[in-house]
Amino acid sequence: MPLRSENDGPQGTLHIEGEFNIYQADQLKPLLLAELSAMENITVDLAQVEEIDTAGIQLLLMLKQEAARQQKAISFINHSKPVLEVFELCNLGGHFGDPMIFTRP
Amino acid sequence: MDLQEARGTLIEEARELLDAMENALLQVESGGDINDAVNAAFRAAHTIKGSAGLFGLDSIVAFTHTSESVLDRVRAGELLIDDHLVTLLLDCRDYIGQLIDAVESGTEDTDPDPTERASLLDQLNNYLGHPHASMGVAATVQADPLERDGDALNVGNHYWHLSLRFTPDVLRNGMDPLSFLRYLGRLGEIVYIYTLTDSVPAAAEMDAEICYLGFEVEFASEADKATIEGVFDFVRDESTIRILPPRSRVEDYIDLIRNLPESPRRLGEILLACGSITQAELDEILALQAGEAAGQPLGTLLVEQRVVHAPVVAAALSTQKQVQEKKGAEQKFIKVEAGKLDQLITLVGELVIAGAATRLLASRSADLAMLETTAHLGTLVESIRDSALDLRMVQIKEIFDRFPRVVRDVSKELGKKIELHVHGGDAELDKSMVDKLTDPLMHVVRNAIDHGIEMPDEREQVDKPAHGSIWLNAYHESGSIVVEIRDDGRGLNRERIRAKAVERGLINADAQLSDEEIWQLIFEPGFSTAEKVTNLSGRGVGMDVVKRNIQELRGDVELSSKQGHGTTLRIRLPLTLAIIDGFQVMVGESVFVIPLELVVECADLGSHDILHDIVNLRGQPLSFIRLRQLFEMPPPPAGTRESLVVVQYGQARAGLVVDKLLGEVQAVIKPLGQLFRHARVIAGSTILGDGRVALILDIAQLIHHTTHDRTTTLPNPGR
Amino acid sequence: MSKTILVVDDSASLRQVVGIALKQAGYTVVEAVDGKDALSKLDGRKLNLIISDVNMPNMDGISFVKAAKQLPAYKFTPVIMLTTEAEESKKMEGKAAGVRAWVVKPFQPPILLDAVAKLILP
Repeated sequence: MPLRSENDGPQGTLHIEGEFNIYQADQLKPLLLAELSAMENITVDLAQVEEIDTAGIQLLLMLKQEAARQQKAISFINHSKPVLEVFELCNLGGHFGDPMIFTRP
Repeated sequence: MDLQEARGTLIEEARELLDAMENALLQVESGGDINDAVNAAFRAAHTIKGSAGLFGLDSIVAFTHTSESVLDRVRAGELLIDDHLVTLLLDCRDYIGQLIDAVESGTEDTDPDPTERASLLDQLNNYLGHPHASMGVAATVQADPLERDGDALNVGNHYWHLSLRFTPDVLRNGMDPLSFLRYLGRLGEIVYIYTLTDSVPAAAEMDAEICYLGFEVEFASEADKATIEGVFDFVRDESTIRILPPRSRVEDYIDLIRNLPESPRRLGEILLACGSITQAELDEILALQAGEAAGQPLGTLLVEQRVVHAPVVAAALSTQKQVQEKKGAEQKFIKVEAGKLDQLITLVGELVIAGAATRLLASRSADLAMLETTAHLGTLVESIRDSALDLRMVQIKEIFDRFPRVVRDVSKELGKKIELHVHGGDAELDKSMVDKLTDPLMHVVRNAIDHGIEMPDEREQVDKPAHGSIWLNAYHESGSIVVEIRDDGRGLNRERIRAKAVERGLINADAQLSDEEIWQLIFEPGFSTAEKVTNLSGRGVGMDVVKRNIQELRGDVELSSKQGHGTTLRIRLPLTLAIIDGFQVMVGESVFVIPLELVVECADLGSHDILHDIVNLRGQPLSFIRLRQLFEMPPPPAGTRESLVVVQYGQARAGLVVDKLLGEVQAVIKPLGQLFRHARVIAGSTILGDGRVALILDIAQLIHHTTHDRTTTLPNPGR
Repeated sequence: MSKTILVVDDSASLRQVVGIALKQAGYTVVEAVDGKDALSKLDGRKLNLIISDVNMPNMDGISFVKAAKQLPAYKFTPVIMLTTEAEESKKMEGKAAGVRAWVVKPFQPPILLDAVAKLILP
């Protein structure tokens, strides 16, 4: 499963890995939400995302929205190259508001 | 692999498809499953069209398209297929064949037969009625706002504006909106993009496989509207894709806003963010829009909602049975260029010769271990030889398959009714023989139709079924393949042949000839008994040419006939032309090779009773011939113990007397040089392990020579 | 990592030409001669796109796509169907099977490459 989480007190880190697209979307949605509810504040590490499509973006948007609803802090970090490419393509950087740096060449 | 090679594939494939098409059309006529047959013919034409299109062979595409359309009408049950249409389609098939030939010879730019093409298209179009009138959807008039009257209020934007709201199912259908955005990058530059996330629902209601995102795109491009629209071809029907050219009119933006799901104010903000419109323009648009919403008609032309192409439902097709085709077997085969195979065979031939040389050296060295290894090597070389030769074996079906069409066409032309029965199509023979056998066989079959089978009324008068029959049969017999062509026609007329032969000076008027000898006369050059010269078999190509062609393949022709009952012609051919298992014999210093499968037994001549040239072999008389005598070689040294090799070809046997038996050998057949061009009893030559040349005897000719004509001698083959 | 496309067509020359064009454009190509063969190629390998003919022996393109869409690994794989104007009813069937992208035969390679690029860039 392309999800890995570290729960460090109130601050949890969720690693999304591998393909993050329509093929996994339906399965990942409940898992992502479960992780979110298990954590106080959440950091989503995107370093290992190898592929992302519209479905993947929507799940990230969902997480952000849901975190806001649950009044939890959420940040997305270590955007992988494919994620950066898509964020740039869709001009979504501002929407997420996280600092984006190249984590991998 | 390059395109040139792919062109070769196209040609080969097209020919196979044309054959399939022909078979299918003939099946229609012979009363097979018409649906299957028409489908198969359609598919053939269709595939040819598709492949030709890839290469831009427009002439083929256009022509096959028309042929295919007619077949499609038949398929849909709108057109009845009759003999006339079958004939027309067969002609079309032939013409497509010509087009393919032209591609092969690189002359596809010139129509091989413009008159034929025009005539065929005329006839096809007759079947189609008015071919194009009913096709297609009414043209969509896309008014381009840019081209319209200039006094309207335009926005100042220099960029295209794209509003993209995809169908919720777009992801499920395997398409990612992002890929369309990426593709846009090929046509120009995305100046600004606003991703609408408004529709993404709360987590609980969200379906992760539905697309909720929308995009507003500011796009700089030199491309035309159709091209930009084309990017969204695959989703346009179900999605809302609005494309506004640069400097579109305010009305167009109003229309845009009206047709998008988001609120006008929200859209206004986005358009503003995109830079599509200025604040002032937005204010005006919103005001106008509000006015319109309040009931004031805008009174301006708006870009019409895109015409949704209503799918034209084709006439209900009869439930097509899944045609079980052997074609699935295709994947088990690899297509190999014939030249590569020939090269392999040549190399194997060299390997056999080199192997024989090695073995010879080994036996001279008397090194046991060496002998063992070379023996093993020899076995392997033999298997390689057999496998390599086997690669070239093809089913005789390849030739037989052409005959249904020939029989159909020729019998139609002559007004005869003929059924063709084919057996043994799976018998195999060397590919190179297939190519050379086709013409003679074609000639024989045409002859049978033309001269053999009677007209229907003539047949009925003698209590024969009105339908004549021709049987094509192939089978293996002792190292040969036999192809039999039999008809139940009138048979050969002994007296007429005889009279003709006398008239031509081929025989004396008082010659006593057996039936067999009479039949052989028709293979004499220039012999023709047809009273009426038709354009089929009376072209001067006689049975002599057939016989010569077969003999060139080291085969022979045998004929039997019964007047009133029909004629059977048997063509006997060796299985391969390249390498044979031979039996070596020696006469003086010369080595001869006899094809092993024709050797029946060997005996010591001295231990049998001899009378002239007949030997008493276990009570049976057997004609024999001394090779020494035949080749005019000097008499043997005293005390030579002659050996007798009994050979059989077909039903005939004869003995060959030689000095010495040397044993088995693999002989790679080399073509004969000019020197032996006239030596009919020599089939070829081969190179022995020690480098010497041995002659391969043509046993069929030798037996003939032994039993018939004993006066001729042949030049000494020497070295 | 180049993207992989499965090309299904019973015409060897079409597969050859399309294969050459796609490879030159930077895709990896897997070929199949009919629907049945194509199904056997759906062995879990990653496919980014399927290009399939409609009318084929053994198993037609529509049946193949329907079968492919049943497999989790290929449920969302985009499909381009090669068709003719004469196959409108097939188009309806294909649509029901989830096919949205059609390329009309006969076509020349750039047309197909263009269609492919709209769905997946190399």
